[in-house]
Amino acid sequence: MTRTILDLHVLQTVPPSNLNRDDTGTPKTALYGGARRSRVSSQAWKRATRAAFAELLAPEELGVRTKRVAEFVAERIHELDDSIDRSEALALAAETVKAATGSKIEVPKRKSGKKTDDGASEPPAPQSSYLMFLSAQQRDALAQLAVKGRADIKAFFKDKDNKEEAKSSANTRHSVDIALFGRMVADGADINVDAATQVAHAISVHAVENESDYYTAVDDRRKDEEPGAGMIGTVEFNSATLYRYAALDVDRLAANLGRGLRDGEEPTTPVRRAVEAFVEGFVDSMPSGKINTFGNHTRPEAVIVKLRGTRPVNFVSAFEQPVVADVGSGYLRKACERLADHISQIEEAYGTHADTTTWVLRAGANTEPLAGLGAESSMGELVESVGRAAADRQAETA
Amino acid sequence: MSVLALCLAGPLQAWGSSARFARRTTENVPTKSGVLGMLAAAQGRDRAADVSDLAELRFGVRVDQRGTRIRDFQTAHHTETGNAMPVSERFYLADAVFVAGVEGDGDLIAALHRAVRSPVYLPYLGRRSCPPSRPVDIGAFDGTDAVLEDVFRSVEWQAAEHHRRRRSGERRVALPVFMDAAEGDREKNSRRDLPVSFDPRHRRYALRDVKADTVEVPNPTHRAPAAPSHHDPMPPLGGD
Repeated sequence: MTRTILDLHVLQTVPPSNLNRDDTGTPKTALYGGARRSRVSSQAWKRATRAAFAELLAPEELGVRTKRVAEFVAERIHELDDSIDRSEALALAAETVKAATGSKIEVPKRKSGKKTDDGASEPPAPQSSYLMFLSAQQRDALAQLAVKGRADIKAFFKDKDNKEEAKSSANTRHSVDIALFGRMVADGADINVDAATQVAHAISVHAVENESDYYTAVDDRRKDEEPGAGMIGTVEFNSATLYRYAALDVDRLAANLGRGLRDGEEPTTPVRRAVEAFVEGFVDSMPSGKINTFGNHTRPEAVIVKLRGTRPVNFVSAFEQPVVADVGSGYLRKACERLADHISQIEEAYGTHADTTTWVLRAGANTEPLAGLGAESSMGELVESVGRAAADRQAETA
Repeated sequence: MSVLALCLAGPLQAWGSSARFARRTTENVPTKSGVLGMLAAAQGRDRAADVSDLAELRFGVRVDQRGTRIRDFQTAHHTETGNAMPVSERFYLADAVFVAGVEGDGDLIAALHRAVRSPVYLPYLGRRSCPPSRPVDIGAFDGTDAVLEDVFRSVEWQAAEHHRRRRSGERRVALPVFMDAAEGDREKNSRRDLPVSFDPRHRRYALRDVKADTVEVPNPTHRAPAAPSHHDPMPPLGGD
């Protein structure tokens, strides 16, 4: 099977800031290449990415909204175990959805049985009283639970753990999030979902020493007989040109999300939308640490995205030897030169697969060394074309 | 017998063996469970899958660059409830480079080598936030020289440039290796990192005996120390 793997590489400069601090308030650091670097932990940037992702992609986009949830789940139950006939599957589905959502699933009063081909009337399917939303992945989870509890479904959901599992299966926001990022905090039911993305700790491309800002604050209601500051303290900070890296296993994401279910939409739509939202969310998010103190709202100067059929490649080694700034040159230009050299050397040494596609987003003259590495795009073009390319490859492999 | 050699290098790595709950420590060298887990994941095995065939492989690690331990402080909030989770400490090895090797049956090694080159689950160095910074596979060795110790003697020193420069005075460098101990080895320590099951509901590890040793490898950046230059500041000043 051909694989679809996405890797994202970002160079981003932040002014004096304290994006991610430890328990003593010091910006996090790490040693790399024998030199101390500024570090922003993967969990900090993932949280920012998650929040951005939630804004960019409503979970409702990834599934169907219907009252006929029982039929919807019952079809899947029958696919999983064809010894279960329609009426049993409907009963199982109704109980399962009821346990999961707590809402009533009943046969609508005004419906008489549908006429089937042989003239006999089928019992009408129960429905929920309001439109419910389910993604392919949630439908699967609920159907599997129903099959598991087939022997005595009511008793099965009396069990607290099973009921909890049903509830969290039906929690949509949670399920899209988990498909992409895995679980940060363990719950019973999602323990078996492996995250589709890997995010590395961001590190500065140059050596960094933390600085500290001594501050005094004035008490506005101070009386003149008490001169002096209301309080004093220090805030530690550093400024850095960061290399950020993330890899996304598109196949894993597609498996976690399931296929598109709506009429008239491509089966790859959910995965395309999720890829788009992830690329935009990762590139354009910023951890919120001390942001009101430093206002470090920058955007990346350079983004390289590669779509491959092989395992992802992390280019952090380009900066293993810390970048040294000449007077008046800054770090960015040298970092871009290093990255461009490193990419071409690695690709020369290991060869590139014909099916690797590269996109480059860059701003400013300092990023010129990266020109020509791939298709130059603006943010909107990048997001759209990466999403489309990933979805097209999924369609081929499906 | 065949051997698969792996290069484990990256800015951060974390190899826990007794790391549980809020304090996630790391050993000084990669654990057998960590490396076998990476191989099983590369093959696409489920977490609940049987890994007894992998556990039987003979395992060893060569320390090419020790790195330093850093502590990371982490807070988390539950996405649904917003409740703060216990504050946790996570330890990492920063700036370290290891060569790990597994020795075993030729077919299994060949299958693992294929898997490492096109992995189903992406490899990482003990924790998902630690992607490798270099390709993981060094290569598979089979034939007569395919003994773990010999492979550790023949694989080039993988340390980073800055680290090699520091030891450029040595023609050969002695690198520590930690091997699965054989029956009858006297000097050994035990460590609980032999995977019995990776099933997240009940992860189980057995004890493993480890024997410490060293191997010598040539230093490619070796330079003979330059002869001291003759420097006499007096002549330009003239006089007798």
